[in-house]
Amino acid sequence: MAAPVPPGSIIVADWHRSPESREFFKKILHKKKRREFGLLETPVMPPHLKADTVRYKVFISGKSGVGKTALAARLAGHHIPNLHYETTGLETSVVFWPVKLRENCRVLFFHFQLWDCGENAMRRFDHMLPSCKEQVDAILFLFSFTDHGSFEDISNQMSRITDPSDRVVRFVVGTKFDLFMHTDVTESEITRFQEVWGVPVFRVGGDVSGGFGEIAPLLNALAENLWHQDCVHASSASLPHVCHPEDTSREVIV
Amino acid sequence: MLQAETVQLLCLTAASGVPLFSRGSSKQLPFSVIGSLNGVHMFGAGQGALLSSCETERGSRVVWRVFQDSLMLIAVSGSGNNAVSKLHLHRLLENTWNCMVLVLGQDELANMRNVERLKRELRSCYRLIDRLLERRGEDQGFMGDLTHCADCLLPSHPAILQQALDSFTQAANSEFGCLLIQGRVALATEKWWRLAPQEVVLLSILVNLLSGVTSCDYPVFLPQGSPTVAHRLLCFQLLPSAFVCVLCGPSPSLHHVESELVGCFWSPVVETLRGCLEQGERSPLPPSVSLRWDVQALLLINRETRRSVGACPRARSHPSSEAQPLSSPGRRWELLRHFYTFAVTRYFTSEEASTSPDSSTSATAHESLHEEFSGGFTHQPVQCYLVTDECKCYGLQTPQHQLYLLTDLSVPTFALRSVATHTLNAVTATTGF
Repeated sequence: MAAPVPPGSIIVADWHRSPESREFFKKILHKKKRREFGLLETPVMPPHLKADTVRYKVFISGKSGVGKTALAARLAGHHIPNLHYETTGLETSVVFWPVKLRENCRVLFFHFQLWDCGENAMRRFDHMLPSCKEQVDAILFLFSFTDHGSFEDISNQMSRITDPSDRVVRFVVGTKFDLFMHTDVTESEITRFQEVWGVPVFRVGGDVSGGFGEIAPLLNALAENLWHQDCVHASSASLPHVCHPEDTSREVIV
Repeated sequence: MLQAETVQLLCLTAASGVPLFSRGSSKQLPFSVIGSLNGVHMFGAGQGALLSSCETERGSRVVWRVFQDSLMLIAVSGSGNNAVSKLHLHRLLENTWNCMVLVLGQDELANMRNVERLKRELRSCYRLIDRLLERRGEDQGFMGDLTHCADCLLPSHPAILQQALDSFTQAANSEFGCLLIQGRVALATEKWWRLAPQEVVLLSILVNLLSGVTSCDYPVFLPQGSPTVAHRLLCFQLLPSAFVCVLCGPSPSLHHVESELVGCFWSPVVETLRGCLEQGERSPLPPSVSLRWDVQALLLINRETRRSVGACPRARSHPSSEAQPLSSPGRRWELLRHFYTFAVTRYFTSEEASTSPDSSTSATAHESLHEEFSGGFTHQPVQCYLVTDECKCYGLQTPQHQLYLLTDLSVPTFALRSVATHTLNAVTATTGF
């Protein structure tokens, strides 16, 4: 597991705000909402704006009720259900996310496949967890700001599900941050957690307008770290910043 | 007891009457009422009587049914003019039970060890149960929950897609494969069609819940075919609103099927699939079927294969000035549901009894669906009609088909039979349905 890279070191930060990205982001929108892609579809760019697609599998892990399905829906730009229903199996959803590399100004479409599995289903059926871990590239560990137990469980999950030798990007995401009035998890706990584990913590919740602003930091960080992980693996040491182990205090409000 | 048009569903343990869950109407029935509803059923049982349903003076209905001697389901409908039919409530109980078996398996429900644990486990069924109670599909003409026949879409050129489906299913180590277009079964493998009709309907409802999901791996117990051993339902969204599903055992993994098989079998036919979706936007019937301009809606059931296809033209094929304006498709589907219920409970048979496992309870439920007519006569009606101030309805039953037709008021009543026969022939001759 490589240490996280600082934001904006490999890809252009906040590229979704820049006018030159508009043509690319238009491809993942349909009538001002996010376009839904079937498995047989990808965004198609005109020849002069050709962009390759790179595929990654992202597993969303967390206790029942922390908001795994809601996070997947948020990232994919789908309707977030009003009521909480247990996910009784394994569901995947696809997010296409255009990213511009700093180094050579190449534009890539990141294809994240988000794997979301209900905790009870995972407990009752043995094949679920191995299926989620099969060829996984990144894992998002979720806790809810309104449930301290889910936060305490994160460290268990991280050591149970992943092994330090795995080639996996690990992020922690705190959900329901908008309910900070009821928050059960304090800032100092989070700071301490980041120091101990060296894993960045993201916060989501609240904004349901469906814009890119709320999801861009998380998706960009995923893209950046996955790309970095692949580069390190391919031993192409031509990256501008290889690693910054001290940079673990990064906090991004998503 | 409840507001009009709302239905509340209660689940209690059969032996002790402990409430397990209540879904439906936002205002829950008070505990004392739930207790009484259970008590009156229990009292009947003590006297050797089976209480199956009742109706209040104001048109509220209550329907009871015990499943596997373990759980009791009670459905209560609100009063009002637009009362929910008894058939609908009976079906609702049956479908709810099937949903619970589908998610949890029969063992979990029949051999209850710990009530609190079961209560928790039952939460995982809420999504499906709420979907049944919401009746959201009714506006789009989904009737499988009521007819227990699979809602189908008849593609214009099925051969090439059928071939893709058969080979895809085989490559996924399965014999059970199905292609759903806009929520309707467009194609399925032979084995899929041999599943119990309720199972086909239920699996379609499950897949239709998957909004925004690209693929899934759901453990499912088949209420009739495999109530104690779970299978895996793998679904893949090929294009938005086009899902292919297979039922399989422990292998292959979702990742394998998705990355190795989906593209390889379905990319070559993507244009045909798109064509199929375009057709589905217009009508579940292929464009080669031409309906008379005064047909407002129809439901055709194939009694042998237990499939159904509906149609509800968006606009008149030959606009004419004197034609009455078409009411909304939602309204016409609703009328068609009413007419189906009317015909099936009074005159026609609905092919039920043979498919239910717990035959004793289902036979009683089944008999009670039929009202006065069959009792007094020895013959079996094959046609019926109904004239309302909104439309005219005609039902036609042959050994193979049932047709339910809604027409304009302008069609003379004496001509309804020939319009219905003509329509039946037009659809079956063109599609071979």
